[in-house]
Amino acid sequence: MSEVRSQQEVASMTAGESENSASLGKHAGGFLAACRQWWPYYLMMAPGIIFFVLFHYLPIWESKIAFEQVRIIPPNIWVGIKHFQVLFASPVFWQVLLNTLIISGMKMLFVFPVPILVALMLNEVRSGSLRKFIQSAVYLPHFLSWVVIAGVFIAALSPSDGVVNDITGFFGAQPKSFMTDNGSIRWVLVFSEMWRSAGWDSLLYLAAIIAIDQALYDAAEMDGANRWQKILYVTIPGIVPTIATLFILNAGMFLSADLNQVINLSNDVVRGQIDIIDTYVYRIGLQTGEYSLATAAGLFKAVLGMLLILLAHMFSKRLTGKGVW
Amino acid sequence: MAASNNRRTPLERIEYAIIVSTLLLMVVVTVQPLLNLLAVSLSDPAKLPGMSGMEVLPRGLSFDVWALLVNHPNVRAGLLNSILITGLGTLLNIIFTALMAWGLSRPGLPGRRILFLMVLVTIVFDPGIIPDYFVNKRLGLLDSYWSVILFKLVNAWYLIILIRFFEEIPQELLEAAELDGSNPFQTFWYVVLPLAKPALATITLFYIVFHWNEFFRAMIYITDQGKWPLQVVLRQFVIGGDKLAIVGVDAANNYTGASQIDLRALKAGMIILTIVPILLIYPLILKFFTKGTMSGALKG
Repeated sequence: MSEVRSQQEVASMTAGESENSASLGKHAGGFLAACRQWWPYYLMMAPGIIFFVLFHYLPIWESKIAFEQVRIIPPNIWVGIKHFQVLFASPVFWQVLLNTLIISGMKMLFVFPVPILVALMLNEVRSGSLRKFIQSAVYLPHFLSWVVIAGVFIAALSPSDGVVNDITGFFGAQPKSFMTDNGSIRWVLVFSEMWRSAGWDSLLYLAAIIAIDQALYDAAEMDGANRWQKILYVTIPGIVPTIATLFILNAGMFLSADLNQVINLSNDVVRGQIDIIDTYVYRIGLQTGEYSLATAAGLFKAVLGMLLILLAHMFSKRLTGKGVW
Repeated sequence: MAASNNRRTPLERIEYAIIVSTLLLMVVVTVQPLLNLLAVSLSDPAKLPGMSGMEVLPRGLSFDVWALLVNHPNVRAGLLNSILITGLGTLLNIIFTALMAWGLSRPGLPGRRILFLMVLVTIVFDPGIIPDYFVNKRLGLLDSYWSVILFKLVNAWYLIILIRFFEEIPQELLEAAELDGSNPFQTFWYVVLPLAKPALATITLFYIVFHWNEFFRAMIYITDQGKWPLQVVLRQFVIGGDKLAIVGVDAANNYTGASQIDLRALKAGMIILTIVPILLIYPLILKFFTKGTMSGALKG
């Protein structure tokens, strides 16, 4: 930490080689000495730094198109916030924003608690090999692409030969086409998210549970606690910081209802129910060619998302003394 | 633990049975749909009509679907493109992430905090897909493998993981190497990299999974179908419902009545085929990821 602090005045200057001379200027030939010492590291980092500039900072610069009128023959004309006014006056945009909030809210309510329950249950499994078997199976979907998962869900929800309708049919229900039903498509998003992430996300909670001091359990046992009391008074309080951190982190992602998921599980019939900001940007931008309007919508989401993440980070630090990064 | 088994009350046994069966039900819900798709793809096409989504064993046995898929030009090209993008992409990822992490992990490096901040900003702020599209266009990357490979050349999260890992390397070890006349490149290659093997392995697997599963960028940036990775071919065929993507015009005409059956099996086979590489490295994933996450917490 002390080395870092000694470099603070250096770091507060602009990035690049010039700061070497600033910080070491007091010493004669300090700049040259610093160059001689550090250039190999800058050389090694150069491709990475160039990458960040090209693929992360250049797009930020390109976002200025949200404030411009695109012309076929450059240059574009600066029009200020005109596109934002159009955007906020559009009922479609508000519907899309509402969809995003509803879908994120449903996931928060129904998907978020599941890995906690899974971790609590896994922790009760005494046989190591049985637990390993369960874990190996339920972690798998986390590593599949949304294209694959959408394929699996389309097959499983098929009205003619899907497993879900075969089961409901066994109990006498009529076959239902879940993928093309406006009433069920959001639940398809919720369940596919659960299928994909519940197992893997439980790993984080399980790790937190294992970190709980065994002495606490021994003490609870001495006091005559049963399984439920141990879970309620030792395990759950032990993982509350992890729960809080992940909850806050999820809240920060509230405006990203997952483009890849929606784009693959969407179809013409149900689009209105699950069109989110990201798919809206993709549709009006890359498919319709309204670049400025799409960029304005993307920027709106990016700025709000950034504020949410920073707020989440702040809360996390205050609550648990630990930041998100 | 086993000894205490006998002392458990009947109620506790019932509770335990409920917990285990709930978890096993979860295993079934996770694995059954995949097994069903595998079974459908291996079934005798004549016996497919009426095959339920619940079945996990093939009806009869036929490798026709798999033979057709593996020999299909679009699928083959997709497979090769995916392998190329994943292989080259991961190699470049790991080299440049490790190099940048090594530099950023050196405490005295001038500008270290500014560079670190620059990386953090990219995690928090993402201007979205349209500016990204224009950058790719401006750099002349459209319709090229590079538009897919170069994205996330350095992943900010993995970079931070590696920086933390490198910072843990004892300073004395690095100084000893320098006293022996090792330059920063040599120290990196002979001292730092060997020590970081577990972390590098984990991050390599992350990158492999990332590249293999990527479809969105390939979908919007690569218009030449010959360059499509497997995920885009799969998407076109299974989700887009574009039969011609796999079956082909001639074949589509020949299938006529039987085409429904074959389409179901073909789609199933195509999904499974796309998962196979993930399944092949899955034991490694479990070993490195799970152990890493768990042992990190065990210290507490």
